[in-house]
Amino acid sequence: MRFTRKAAAIAAGATALALCLAACGSGGKGTKGGATTKNGTPVSIVWWGWAPGYEEAAAAFNAAHTDVQLKFETISAGTQGGYDKMLTAVKAGNAPCLGQVGAETFTSFVAQGALEDVSEHLSGAADKFPEAAWKTVSLDKAIFGVPVDSGTMGLFYRADLFQQHGLAVPTTWDEFKAAGKKLHEADPTKYIANLPTDAYNYSGYAWQAGAAWFSAADDAWSVTIDSAENTKVADFWQSMVDEGIVSTFPSWDAALNAAWSDGTVLSEVGAVWTAGILESEAKASSGKWAVAPMPRWPGSDAVGNVGGSPNAVLKGCKNPKEAAAAALWLSTESASLEPMIAKGGLYPASTAGQALPIMKQGREFFGGQAIFEVFAQESAHVNPAWQWGPVMTVTSSALSDGLGKVGLKSGTIADALKGAQTKTVEEIEAQGYALK
Amino acid sequence: MTVLPIGGGTGGARGAARRQRPDPAVRRASRTAVRRALPFATPFLILFLAIYVIPICYSVYQSLFTVNRSGLGLTASEPKFTGLTNYARALNDPAFLGSLRRVLFIGAVQVPVMLLTALALALLIDAKVAPGTKIYRIIYFLPYALPGVIAGLMWSFLYAPTLSPVVRGLEAIGVDATFTSDAALPYSIMNILTWAWTGYNMIIIYSSLQSIPHDVVEAAALDGASKWKTAWSVKVPMVRPAIILTAVFSIIGTAQLYNEPVTMKAVAPNLSSDYTPIMSALKTLTSNYPYAATKAVLLAVLIGLCSAVFFRLTRQREPV
Repeated sequence: MRFTRKAAAIAAGATALALCLAACGSGGKGTKGGATTKNGTPVSIVWWGWAPGYEEAAAAFNAAHTDVQLKFETISAGTQGGYDKMLTAVKAGNAPCLGQVGAETFTSFVAQGALEDVSEHLSGAADKFPEAAWKTVSLDKAIFGVPVDSGTMGLFYRADLFQQHGLAVPTTWDEFKAAGKKLHEADPTKYIANLPTDAYNYSGYAWQAGAAWFSAADDAWSVTIDSAENTKVADFWQSMVDEGIVSTFPSWDAALNAAWSDGTVLSEVGAVWTAGILESEAKASSGKWAVAPMPRWPGSDAVGNVGGSPNAVLKGCKNPKEAAAAALWLSTESASLEPMIAKGGLYPASTAGQALPIMKQGREFFGGQAIFEVFAQESAHVNPAWQWGPVMTVTSSALSDGLGKVGLKSGTIADALKGAQTKTVEEIEAQGYALK
Repeated sequence: MTVLPIGGGTGGARGAARRQRPDPAVRRASRTAVRRALPFATPFLILFLAIYVIPICYSVYQSLFTVNRSGLGLTASEPKFTGLTNYARALNDPAFLGSLRRVLFIGAVQVPVMLLTALALALLIDAKVAPGTKIYRIIYFLPYALPGVIAGLMWSFLYAPTLSPVVRGLEAIGVDATFTSDAALPYSIMNILTWAWTGYNMIIIYSSLQSIPHDVVEAAALDGASKWKTAWSVKVPMVRPAIILTAVFSIIGTAQLYNEPVTMKAVAPNLSSDYTPIMSALKTLTSNYPYAATKAVLLAVLIGLCSAVFFRLTRQREPV
């Protein structure tokens, strides 16, 4: 009797252990970074992402290839846990071969040793993209992926209200400010634009002005978020805040959407994907918007960029050559790009993609204007000198925190830049990077 | 954290009782009981170890290392054992210390207000001063049924400077109200917490009130005690353990504040991304895991200390 009870105890314990091991063990399987090819079996490349249209693009790839097959898996959007998932998988050694990594986060992935250098498999690919787009996937001479879409900036404006208030479409920032002043004097409840509280939305203005935040040279980082050039851009926007020319609604908030809808805010100088946001969040003002080139700084024809999501080759990929080739195909072939453009409204980074007939379609929200044609011209002017940094989560949250205080006048944009500079340098030093 | 010596004056007597060795037969019996219970407890113990104890130990272990990259960081980090360096950094990090001060302030103001309200409501319902106690119970409890993020979104809308019907309504009668200024933010958060959790705490106190024997209350009434007097001198002392329990839960909950401020950030961009300790820890998670672990461990230790101190303060006044 005693013996059986003991046996039962052991059995119960062992069963529980086995159950747990089975449960714990199964998590890691199934998403290995691509199986090696045996004669006849195609190489399988797992691809993680969340953008609409990617699934159809993967299907198009598979239909066109027999030796390599893509397995697309939808994950949560990067900042909503997708990036954590990828970094954890890289750490655990079971990451997929390809992952969607936003351009602004891409360099931080590189600087955490989470990406694979595939430059040897992508020779000649650089020619298929504008210089600025290609720069986002490279660091020094290494290349870690292929850009899919880009965030070339432009001026989205209410054509009807501009006309009503007698405002000409500004081509320079000085004209932009003058138009804002004229508008605000005529009607103090109206604003020419909104100061972004989101660090990345703000970054596009620095990007355009050539006000670098980071540079990587001689195997060391340097951080210049509060440089003289950056202070110049900050002071320009600060003066518009102080004079009440621009509003200070929080980025991404319903209040800003409402202000776009009801004509409180007349324009947005933003990335090409702003079109999609306006179309879905400012429906009431459909047909009244138009797009023009981004206002320029004196003596410069440079344009800014915000966002874009390259496909990165993650560390530990067993078939980096096939993965890189697949990524290049996805970004340059019409069969792959068309569903992405049609379903996700993304603006292709490759020059071949920008020349697709689908890009010439007019959009109802913009009074039938073929807005992508504006961006196709502008994307050649995107300043190619921009470099993202190694600890962007720290940098962007510090800057957003600071920008959030500007509206309440408890801080200036220059203060926000200083705060971001301090926090970024501190984190870079704490993690042991070389800093210059 | 319960290892701290508990109870000042009464400690001696309790300690003596504990030191008394039990009868050997009793000891044998209890050992057999443990052996018999073990197989049934094993699944729990394994899960407890796997998802509780091991992650905690892993966090503590990780917090003793520093991320150690080189050059541009193109190769994986080689973590370096640096002992308490991360702790020194956290304790000198004004942002992290600020987040601790913030939750301390929110807790110090909000927890007493909420618990007093909960106690008052529980006593009122228990005293049946109005008909329909069941309906009141459900109404007060309802906010707790709403997930924290949903409550946060709803309140964010009510606080939003331009869209809020409350702000607009107050404006119409000439009151300029801002719920999202730097100074107002802690109180706006306290309001959400109180709204969400008062009913929950009330239910705990109320069920404790229900277990008070009728004869005790009757005896008080026979002795001529008014309803007020009965509530204050008989009922409240008898539900003291429940009140202490709700207080400890509330202290822990406030220290781990996350959902409400994160959702409010959408309408209040001046709410910093490290407003509370958990927000601060999560912010550094992806790029610097050991430092995030350090913040989490520090917070856990502080919560433990606060709870222990609170237990100690409340026990001392217990009748021997």
